[in-house]
Amino acid sequence: MRTKVEFIRAETINQALQLLADNNKNTRILAGGTDIITGMRMKSKRFANIDLLLDINSINDLKGIRLLEDSVTIGSNVTFSEILENKIIQDKLPLLIQSASGIGNLQIRNRATVVGNFVNNAPCADSVPALLVYNAKLRIESLKGAREIALQDFLVKAYKTQIAPDELVTDIQIPLANDFCGTFYKLGRRQSVAISRISLAVLAKLSNHKIDEIRIASGAVTPIGKRFDDLEEFAIGKNAGKELFIELAQKMAQQILDVTGLRWSGFHKIPVLQQALYQLLLTTIEL
Amino acid sequence: MKNIEFTLNGFPMLVYVDPSLRLLDVLRNTLGLTGTKEGCDIGECGACTVLLNGKAVNSCLVLIGQVENQNVLTVEGLSSHGSLHPLQQKFLEYGAVQCGFCTPGMLLSAYALLQENPHPSEDEIKDAIAGNLCRCTGYKPIIDAITAYSR
Ligand code: FES
Ligand code: FES
Repeated sequence: MRTKVEFIRAETINQALQLLADNNKNTRILAGGTDIITGMRMKSKRFANIDLLLDINSINDLKGIRLLEDSVTIGSNVTFSEILENKIIQDKLPLLIQSASGIGNLQIRNRATVVGNFVNNAPCADSVPALLVYNAKLRIESLKGAREIALQDFLVKAYKTQIAPDELVTDIQIPLANDFCGTFYKLGRRQSVAISRISLAVLAKLSNHKIDEIRIASGAVTPIGKRFDDLEEFAIGKNAGKELFIELAQKMAQQILDVTGLRWSGFHKIPVLQQALYQLLLTTIEL
Repeated sequence: MKNIEFTLNGFPMLVYVDPSLRLLDVLRNTLGLTGTKEGCDIGECGACTVLLNGKAVNSCLVLIGQVENQNVLTVEGLSSHGSLHPLQQKFLEYGAVQCGFCTPGMLLSAYALLQENPHPSEDEIKDAIAGNLCRCTGYKPIIDAITAYSR
């Protein structure tokens, strides 16, 4: 039996923030619940000692996907199914579609939210590499005010983020990347309910066969979703061709080896990873 | 403890329960609707699938407090006046039921699909039931039954 947990469904952002500000209670925000409810059930340490589950599903201001002049905003109630069915996302953020379609199964996608996916910051959060290459920013509110933070800075380490106990992520803002081309790649163990083993996202902008800008991110294989800043810099101005791609693939595999400190699965992952990144670059940038 | 109102199988329902209980437990234990099955407990098997506002969800991952004023359909709501829903008939006809443990969840996933998409392709059927595990049938009779119904 699980110990008693209080449950409150907030109707407004303000009501949620009031409840979060009460630091006598260990409050957890409940969105899709696919992680928290199973976590509590399995007595995972990450979800121990919760006093209050604060359900944000009926807060209307956190619903919806909006296209603004140069960005798309996704509310923190938006589920993966809503992402997949949304015309704006299909048109403007194809990598998010590619990464969302492989998540869990329909029942999970009908509940799980994109924001919940990275607020928990599990290493296998599938949507993270896609959001990272899109330079996603988060809007975070508390009773003290609102702030914005880049997703990349928000993610600290596995299961740890920059969020304070009194704060609520209200939405993700994704700048449009209209003149970029990109691809998402995932290698999982099983077809459905695959907890991803390797996921990669690439977004690139070329002019005259040279790299103007390239963004590369990984998930699952690294302890947290991560951008490869120095590789991105290294590639700028270089000829987009097999030679560069091979070099990028090798360098990236080396970096992953360094951050992961050779986990047991590292030996077989590295060649797979090199190939994956190489193929991904080839698909993204048709030579 | 709290009064929670919602629509269950087309009828208004009021329960007085701890809102942090799972929908699955309230259906089975409080309301005695044992058609919805408990399998893995962690969102992987789909035996506990019900429809929430027309969408397939795992009732082991939904708290009763979250369904306040929402619309829930369980397998008990598929049949009417003691006779099986035609989709259930097809399941019987095609041998899509062996031990039957996955059947309520399967039916609801299929039903949700057919409501949105009356003539699904085989791939669409497979995607809709990908979250429902069956250890008996090998899935083929289930896919056939759903296909037959949609014709
Ligand atoms: S019991 Fe809910 S998915 Fe298995
Ligand atoms: S009929 Fe036994 S699990 Fe499907």
